[in-house]
Amino acid sequence: MLINTEKCKGCGICVPYCPVGAIKLEDKKAYIEIEECLECGTCGRNNIVKCPQNAIGETPDLYQRPRSIRKYFSDPMAYHVETRVPGRGTEEVKTNDVTGRVKKGEVGIGIEVGRPCLGTSYTEVEKITKALADIGITYEADNPLTSLMEDPITGTFIEDAKKSKVVSAIIEFTVPVSKMAKTLEVIKEVSKEINTVFSLDLITRLDSDGGIVVEEELRSLGFEFRPNAKINLGLGSPLREE
Amino acid sequence: MTHSLHRRGTRENLKDDFVVLITPAVGINHNDSKDKLIKILNKILELGPNNIGSYETGTVYSGATIQQIKEQLSETPRVRCCFDNPDKVEELVAFIKESGCGLSVTVSGLIDDVKAIAAKTDISPHSINLSLGTFGKTEELPEYVVLEFVTMCGHGMISSKLVEKLIDDVVKGRMSFEKAAMLMAQPCVCGIFNAKRAEELLDKYVR
Repeated sequence: MLINTEKCKGCGICVPYCPVGAIKLEDKKAYIEIEECLECGTCGRNNIVKCPQNAIGETPDLYQRPRSIRKYFSDPMAYHVETRVPGRGTEEVKTNDVTGRVKKGEVGIGIEVGRPCLGTSYTEVEKITKALADIGITYEADNPLTSLMEDPITGTFIEDAKKSKVVSAIIEFTVPVSKMAKTLEVIKEVSKEINTVFSLDLITRLDSDGGIVVEEELRSLGFEFRPNAKINLGLGSPLREE
Repeated sequence: MTHSLHRRGTRENLKDDFVVLITPAVGINHNDSKDKLIKILNKILELGPNNIGSYETGTVYSGATIQQIKEQLSETPRVRCCFDNPDKVEELVAFIKESGCGLSVTVSGLIDDVKAIAAKTDISPHSINLSLGTFGKTEELPEYVVLEFVTMCGHGMISSKLVEKLIDDVVKGRMSFEKAAMLMAQPCVCGIFNAKRAEELLDKYVR
């Protein structure tokens, strides 16, 4: 995003709205640090920030790579060209009853790099994808992040991606329960090397009594899950039982 | 991804906080899902959600109306909303089940409470997305009080600086709880920020 300094009167109303603090005020004019801006679009939404001078607009190269990568992975109002799915990941557990993305005997892992609050560059994301590639992880084909990979086997990204910073990037994949422990160990280990944060999701099927199949194993591995979660009620049709 | 599983808070202050998502699966059952979602939206409107929005319009807190949300449902539409009352969620889930629309429904909230809603509506939940926490440079995150607000946004659109400023405005008597909660809710374009919970948290911190 850009601020037209001719129009800006320096009221500063926009400054606190930037999720990564990229809007600065200097000499009674607001400006955006272009390298820090993640193109989430928040400051440009007139119904939210209400710039009295209407001085905030889009970056001229916003829809061309590499700048467009920031846009599609940061602005939830932008649809990914590749998946027709808005947002940054897949439908994950939202439609698991119909897609069967995570089946019985498997767990789905989502690593939302950059959340909360810090954002991420793809060089940080690559540290994680390379570490996981070393144990043979196959990345979710429908996730828009996978489309930015130069080589999904090694977990490396294209150069345009590596020039990009985004609000978050979600690494998604499914592994058999038998591989869960090793996978979580690698994730925990690589978390010590990254210069940002990630939120870690684990999708599992529920048993017929609503029990969490991998609960005991997670605890034995030292992972406690939050008391709140996202639950797919199984109302979708056609239902995938397997 | 709505990130609703990563909402920070205690069991006590997450008690009346439910996010409901109704999602057609792209390429499987998304065709003709618009009419089904409009019927569900009508029911949501009747029940009175705490918040509702869409990627196309933004939310009721940023000026969108339910009519606009209905009119601008996309080719691959989704409905996301937030409730602060388990009875309303139960009624909505029962309505969707009864309709037989075949769209996927997820409810985010305290696991025990969501399971209780499923039991009351005679539903066996299919799968669960658990939050295993946050890793990496967690020392760079804002304080927990701020995280309780910002993690109510599904996509990280609410700035920690905005939350800190609004808390300060409330503490110094420059703004009401209600207005601060409403201003916090606005950047969350998908409509899962629970403004009532924000008001309650603000009230608690100010006291």
